[in-house]
Amino acid sequence: MLFVLSLSMVEGSWSNIVDIFTLDHTGHVQIHNGDYAKRPKIHKTIRDRLAVESILNDRPEVASWAPRVFSPGLAYGAAKTAPAQIFGIDPELEPTVTRILQKISAGSFFTASPNSDGYSKAMIGAGLARSLNLAVGDEIVLIASGADGSIANDIFIITGIVGNVTSFDRQGIYLPLTVAQEFLSLGSDVHEYTLLAKNKHSNEALSARLQMQIPSLKVSPWQEIQATFYKTMQSDKEGNMFFMGLVVFIVFVGVLNTVLMSVLERTREFGVLKSIGSRPGDLVKLIFLETVMLASLSVFAGFLLIFPAIYWFTEVGINMGMAVEVGGVEFDTMKGEISAYVMLMPMAFILCTAALISIPPGLRAARITPRVAMGSH
Amino acid sequence: MRYFLIVVLFFSYNASANAADADPRKIIDDMEQLYRGASSDVKMTMVVQTPQYQRTMQLTGQSLGREYGFFRILSPRKDRGIATLKRDSEMWNYFPKINKVIKVPPSMMMGSWMGSDFTNDDLVKETQLIDAYDIVMTETVSEYLFTLFPTQQAVTVWGKIEYLVSKLPLLPKSQTFFDEDGDRIREITFSEPKVFDGRMIPSVLEVRPMNKDGYSTRIIYDDIIFDSASITAQTFSMRNLKARF
Repeated sequence: MLFVLSLSMVEGSWSNIVDIFTLDHTGHVQIHNGDYAKRPKIHKTIRDRLAVESILNDRPEVASWAPRVFSPGLAYGAAKTAPAQIFGIDPELEPTVTRILQKISAGSFFTASPNSDGYSKAMIGAGLARSLNLAVGDEIVLIASGADGSIANDIFIITGIVGNVTSFDRQGIYLPLTVAQEFLSLGSDVHEYTLLAKNKHSNEALSARLQMQIPSLKVSPWQEIQATFYKTMQSDKEGNMFFMGLVVFIVFVGVLNTVLMSVLERTREFGVLKSIGSRPGDLVKLIFLETVMLASLSVFAGFLLIFPAIYWFTEVGINMGMAVEVGGVEFDTMKGEISAYVMLMPMAFILCTAALISIPPGLRAARITPRVAMGSH
Repeated sequence: MRYFLIVVLFFSYNASANAADADPRKIIDDMEQLYRGASSDVKMTMVVQTPQYQRTMQLTGQSLGREYGFFRILSPRKDRGIATLKRDSEMWNYFPKINKVIKVPPSMMMGSWMGSDFTNDDLVKETQLIDAYDIVMTETVSEYLFTLFPTQQAVTVWGKIEYLVSKLPLLPKSQTFFDEDGDRIREITFSEPKVFDGRMIPSVLEVRPMNKDGYSTRIIYDDIIFDSASITAQTFSMRNLKARF
């Protein structure tokens, strides 16, 4: 019971965190030119967009995708300057892969068309808004290096503030894709495609399949893009499994003791059984079946008891009041997860171990001679 | 950038120089004296070539003595009006689209000027060749080769400069810059001499960083006017930097 609950919590928490950041920015799979993900350079762009996009549209496992461009820049408010990370995003496609619409804390999501004065629109991160003292409707001046060596410089009008001061994009400035491409002299090239898989658990398989279809570009699952995070997650899960193993082992020593005791207590009965003609194999079978049935019954009872609890954890979860940050991602609700792995793995494990444990006492009962057995107290 | 100014002024001198009178210090000193004393008004084309892109810019440039320089981009349209002002060892860039003057900080001096193979420092620095370098001259029938070694006190990144000059006409052919380990770092070649404002000058100057494959910057002089009366200290004011044109 505890095993199932704890496993559910661990899987659930991590799955929750993974959702938070894959849907925040990373997506399930990303496509870049060469090693752009590790060593971004403005000229490492994806040129043949039509080919990539038609492949993405044709793959049934792909739920949605969005192109992006990036560049570091320098942002000027009325009196202050701050470094900024430029994100060029498609106003139509980006909301299909991330939760950016929900992240807008002031103003509104932008469109690609310029405003009535001819200025392009931009959305800025909450950190940038605070450090430059900017609000919705203000002008922001941006300077960056263009892909052709020119110095990109322009004025934008802020239509929205994104996220809060702890978001990954707190120093970000979002521009409509076409505006960002022109600003950075990128033509129609992009730096990245981010996509969501229909089944988030099979994103690595999807990534591998796409890599085969697009050999000229680098296709990476989020596990590769966020390698540090993924490793943290894996080691946390492993640590948890080790701990669970220890608990289960102690429990089984107890169970073994119980089974052994029940066999010893009934030694005389086994003696009678043997003396009236039971074969040793029958006794082993008897004890084995007894234990397995008992284990099945207790697993079933445990399942009935724990399922509502897990269901509640999955659907509602414990609100922790204060948000906790794990690997740079925040989460404020501890949630569980219901999956075949979480429910069946512990059950199967317990049944198998119970069956295994029943064998030594069974053998002991089988080997005993009726005379010794009946003579024991 | 400094080099094309040197070239401009060097050759206004050399037009009257006597090739037989080959005192290297005098040639270089005169070159620098002339550079300091004269003004120029230049129209030029800059072609920046990198493995990723080629970019062509039309520029105007004015200089007055060693202290003042002013450049403005005419095309491409996107960059039109971007200007650089150099006064003594300070430098500012002006961006008309955002109406901002940005001082180039000392930390950016080794950064590229407008994506070219010239650094901001090239525009600003005022190394006096004859003061900072010891000069060794070798001579062939048609060329002088000046080898410049920095003196003990010199503040320079170069370990050696080789300066190749043809005798007839007396024009530079190339400058090669070496680091302290003796590796070639940068080469400037001068070619296609043309007559501007009555003076013969190599009209094409090409900078090639030797440690970066596929990169080069060519400057092609379209027009040069020497000692124009319209160039005064006023040309190099903040007001002019921000002026519409």
